[in-house]
Amino acid sequence: MDLHIISILATRFYATEATTNSLKFSFALPHQTIYQSAEVQQVNIASTSGDMGILANHVPSIEQLKPGVIEIVENATTTKKFFVSGGFAIINSNSSLDINAVEAFPLEDFSVE
Amino acid sequence: MPHKDKFQLFLFFEDYKIYEDDCVNKNDTSTKGDGALFNNADTKPPEDGQILIVTVSSDRGLCGGIHSSVSKHSRKVAQENPNSQIVVLGDKAKAQISRTVREKIKLSFNQIGKSVPTYAEASAVADTILKEKIEFDQAVIIYNYFRSVISYEAESIPVYSETTFTRSGNFDAYEIEDDVLENLKEFAFANSIYWGLVEGHASEMASKRSAMENATKNAGEMIDKLTLTYNRGRQAVITNELSMCLK
Repeated sequence: MDLHIISILATRFYATEATTNSLKFSFALPHQTIYQSAEVQQVNIASTSGDMGILANHVPSIEQLKPGVIEIVENATTTKKFFVSGGFAIINSNSSLDINAVEAFPLEDFSVE
Repeated sequence: MPHKDKFQLFLFFEDYKIYEDDCVNKNDTSTKGDGALFNNADTKPPEDGQILIVTVSSDRGLCGGIHSSVSKHSRKVAQENPNSQIVVLGDKAKAQISRTVREKIKLSFNQIGKSVPTYAEASAVADTILKEKIEFDQAVIIYNYFRSVISYEAESIPVYSETTFTRSGNFDAYEIEDDVLENLKEFAFANSIYWGLVEGHASEMASKRSAMENATKNAGEMIDKLTLTYNRGRQAVITNELSMCLK
């Protein structure tokens, strides 16, 4: 039986080993951390080898990101989008995804001009 | 008459410290992401490989033992690895390292430490180093780790070259395209240099602050002592003049 302890402060969940159904997602910029080991369902990235969606238990790989939009599906109701200028996505075998980007902004911060 | 306010402690250093703490905490995650990759891939450098030592410090003084701590550590690493070369960031550290292992210095940078380091600065440094085509299997970035406002310690971050990384234990587990690997190396290098710069800056600011505080305290004590001496002297002269008049 999995034991989930929900922290009040942030979207951090403690979970058991690699057989979970959610992805441990870290999204970091040089001067700011956007996500730190957050449990999300799916992350869609635009990589140089094509657009891909990463879910839990994905094959470990290292992808370079093209300038584009990263979409983070935290759960069935919440989706967040960020525009990144470039960076790397590293998927490890323990179902954790680390995205290091140089610059990233939420799409809401952009105006049509 | 000397006035204590002239040596007032600059309180803006307090705000600076909090800002620096934020910078350091936030950059940690970015570099630790790469760090986790090297841990998971079980990357180990070859035994007698070429090592590039990147010493991160700054140009300015009045910061206590910041430059000597980093220079001593660099010197130790350079002596343990005869096959090593050094790149120095900061004139003060360059002066200290030149005293002992001058022939190993390949590149040096200045205009470091004037303001909070930006990622652009770190990538410019990384770019210049890589353009020099210095061969290395592993780069070691030596900086001052910010332990607290009153203490720091020289530490190192390892950065691996592509060849070392491809020879890692678990490398085959990762799917990766060929050109991505070189870009990853450059990115990780720039990230680590940025980490070194930011933490070094935070340690240096904290050290400057406590050095300034000590100087203020010492100057204050000196002012008190001299005030007493002055007053005693003044009273002695007045007493002497009075006793002349009364005679």
